Amino acid sequence: MKPLGLYIHIPFCKRKCNYCDFLSWGNTKKEDHTAYVEALLAELQYYADQDMLLDSVYIGGGTPSLLERDLILRIMEGVTGSFALSEDAEITIEANPGLLDLDKLMAYRRAGINRLSLGAQSLNDEILHFMGRIHKSNTFIDNFYLARDCGFENISADLIFAVPGQTVELWIDSLEKAISLGAEHISFYSLQIEEGTPFYGLWEKGAMKAVDDETDRRMYHEALKRLKNKGYVHYEISNAAMPGFESRHNLKYWSMEEYLGVGLGSHYYINGTRFSNETNLEKYLRISKGVKEGREVCNDPLSYLAPWVVWHHKNTEVDEISEFLFTGLRKIEGISLSAFEERFGKPVTAVYENAIGKHSRTGLLELNMKEDRLRLTAKGLDLFNQVLVDFV
Amino acid sequence: MDQYQKHIRNFSIIAHIDHGKSTLADRLLETTGLVARRDMKEQFLDNMDIERERGITIKLQTTRLHYRARDGEEYIFNLIDTPGHVDFTYEVSRSLAACEGAVLVVDATQGVEAQTLANVYLALDEDLEIVPVINKIDLASADPDAAKAEIEDIIGIDASEAPLISAKEGINIEEVLESVIRTVPAPSGDPEGKLKALIFDSYYDNYKGVVIYARIFDGVVKAGDQIRLMNTKKKYEVTEVGVFAPGLTPVEQLRAGEVGYICASIKQVADARVGDTITLDNAPAETALPGYKKLQSMVYCGIYPAEGEKYENVRDALEKLQVNDAAFLFEQETSTALGFGFRCGFLGLLHMEIIVERLEREFDLGIVTTSPSVIYKVVMNDGSELMIQNPSNLPPQTQIHHIEEPLVKANIMIPKEYVGSIMEICQERRGVMTHMEYITENRVTLHYEIPLNEVIYDFFDALKSKTKGYGSLDYEMLRYERSNLVKLDILLNKELVDAFSMIVHESKAYARGRFVCEKLKDIIPMHQFEVPIQAAVGQKVIARETVRALRKDVLAKCYGGDISRKKKLLEKQKEGKKRMRQFGSVEVPQEAFTAVLKYDENK
Repeated sequence: MKPLGLYIHIPFCKRKCNYCDFLSWGNTKKEDHTAYVEALLAELQYYADQDMLLDSVYIGGGTPSLLERDLILRIMEGVTGSFALSEDAEITIEANPGLLDLDKLMAYRRAGINRLSLGAQSLNDEILHFMGRIHKSNTFIDNFYLARDCGFENISADLIFAVPGQTVELWIDSLEKAISLGAEHISFYSLQIEEGTPFYGLWEKGAMKAVDDETDRRMYHEALKRLKNKGYVHYEISNAAMPGFESRHNLKYWSMEEYLGVGLGSHYYINGTRFSNETNLEKYLRISKGVKEGREVCNDPLSYLAPWVVWHHKNTEVDEISEFLFTGLRKIEGISLSAFEERFGKPVTAVYENAIGKHSRTGLLELNMKEDRLRLTAKGLDLFNQVLVDFV
Repeated sequence: MDQYQKHIRNFSIIAHIDHGKSTLADRLLETTGLVARRDMKEQFLDNMDIERERGITIKLQTTRLHYRARDGEEYIFNLIDTPGHVDFTYEVSRSLAACEGAVLVVDATQGVEAQTLANVYLALDEDLEIVPVINKIDLASADPDAAKAEIEDIIGIDASEAPLISAKEGINIEEVLESVIRTVPAPSGDPEGKLKALIFDSYYDNYKGVVIYARIFDGVVKAGDQIRLMNTKKKYEVTEVGVFAPGLTPVEQLRAGEVGYICASIKQVADARVGDTITLDNAPAETALPGYKKLQSMVYCGIYPAEGEKYENVRDALEKLQVNDAAFLFEQETSTALGFGFRCGFLGLLHMEIIVERLEREFDLGIVTTSPSVIYKVVMNDGSELMIQNPSNLPPQTQIHHIEEPLVKANIMIPKEYVGSIMEICQERRGVMTHMEYITENRVTLHYEIPLNEVIYDFFDALKSKTKGYGSLDYEMLRYERSNLVKLDILLNKELVDAFSMIVHESKAYARGRFVCEKLKDIIPMHQFEVPIQAAVGQKVIARETVRALRKDVLAKCYGGDISRKKKLLEKQKEGKKRMRQFGSVEVPQEAFTAVLKYDENK
């Protein structure tokens, strides 16, 4: 059996950032964290009898590093108690600068966590403040070195660009600082002003202007140029890594490989079926409590829905194929033509003859038979949705 | 007068939109016990959804009521409801011709309106007795005395006895019925004479064929009779006659003075035209009843299937509508931009809007409509004349000697404080005022001669908007007049889109061109390339806008939890694309066609 990825969601933050629409809350109490981890452990325990092998674990959020050291340790115990881990498993935790210390970092290491994803977002204090981050530029730098000292050899820095008020120069400055720290992996996201966030409110009122698309793209392409110059491999629309440091876990999402998710609102994909978990915290806790008290039967999530699941959809072949492209083309190397044919029993060129033809002409897609690839062109990276609407 | 006629009253109700005609009709039905209140939807007689929503009556509904009056006698009322809009003047006049009297409903809060007046004049033309009624007396702002004074001043009839009612609250409804008995004369006519019956409406029924609404003036008609329609000269055998009770209720015969329906296996309403006279084929009347007129389309537009809609579906729906609407015309046409579609003719703008809305709602069709147009008379250099209603068919400028356009006589009634702003919008639309009259201290009628092509775009919207809804308008065809008209073309990415072409006065071409370009700029989505939008007269570009190229359309993040959600967003984006029309390399949303016609206060 092919190893799975496991995503673990921690829905707590010290405070909520101005741009964030994730399932998370600021200003929570330690008791909430403990109760949540108890529930999480019950969900992990639920899968204990199923002989599942993991080759990646990703503890994300929210802000996992907000939790007390011991809670993370208990989660990791829960993971190892229920699943087999491959020898080289990639185990990532997301951490926010300002919520890390030596004690926590050492504990993570001891628990087997070998990859750290640091939410730097920017290395400019004004921009950080504007985004509602709790940390300063120096906090990130300090935490980065501390993590190195604790033995983390695989550190990713998350950066956001196209923040209102940010110039191309300011953005490049942040990026170059992150590069010069020696981060093995860098994610660089164009800011999306999402409904329901403070940024959205400002933008809607006209009190904040979004960065125009021309500037946004200049920032993006400048970033790509600099990353490549420093030896990074651009491997997904918003991700680059030093060779061999591409995120195994995230690549599962883009390669339609199977992953399990635990925790509030988490999603998973197994056997061609997509599932999502309860998003109401109280209900989530109640379900776990029920399971612990033996009111729910432990079973295979495929023949029987796990009690936390609130939605699931068995993908049709059409869903599978369109999602394969929807996710796969995000990878810079694109999709392998032969892998597609092997998986779906027909060539992608037959399924999407018109769309591929059209976007070869528009210059957004490149079909390379010799290299066995269908991939986005440089222009396609900017206009991916234009391609996708013809594939979904 | 025959004995049975003494107890018949044929009348209709005249009222301005919103003044409560349909509500009153409902109350009359209720008072005479025909329809129990609990069984009534609001406004029983307006049975099309669109009518109910807009509060107007388009299609006539006729019903027969029985009422035991205070004098102890039982009366039969034939209530002939009339359509309530300027586009349907002819239909109104024919229904009025079927009556001896008309109840004039005046809103106690608003007084007399232009359209009311137009219909009152029509009624007076038919020598009807007018029964004034003051409605909405329950409202706080009601001023019945002022309303009465207006009726007396403007129309010149005695309103001192007018019942004060509230149709909504059911107050004094019986007074209306008593007033009708007192004021409206019983019908006369000779039941022994040769058959003369007036067609004042008809509709198509799947089982009975065309159901003719008729008023019998002389003679008798019954099933089995061979009838002849005196204007169309067609002959049919009567299969059924009956009365509206309010459903179709067969009777043995219809006699002079009565109102009822006649079925004769007629295939479409166009064969039984409103205004025609029915007589017996073996004993025909010598002359037809006066007033017959063939309906004339005043406004035309193209109707095309929207992307993904089948041509056949649109055709079937148009055919179905036409079966019931003799005033609606259509024929096949082709547009380079929109493909196969139909050129449709309407009595006026409202008629057009109603047909379009019915296609969308009742038939659930996706359609695109092109700019409405009037009929232009094009005089060629060789002296020949062409009647053109599709801008695309306009011959090259070099072959044209001159173009004439239809002028209408427009009567605009408004409160006096809006005179300035309405004169302004009329002037902008090339209107020439012939005179202005104060009909009361506060109300003014402006009489204009104005090109119909200025009225059909957004005049009505502008009038309503500038007068807070208090302005009203009616118009009638006046004459053709030579005018300096040009064809305004719209080019997208340098390619002409014929569906946007329109004929405009030269003085308006620049403003119109700029307006359309600006509108399209807002509506056309960004493409991967720059899209120039140009307005041109002949070879000359007179306005230009540019839709900038799309620089970015990509989701920054897509992780495990995002896939289903973001795929849905894309599916939505794709749905949006489906509603676009492809013109050359440019995709244009369907709503662009209506948006370029909408009145915009700020422009």
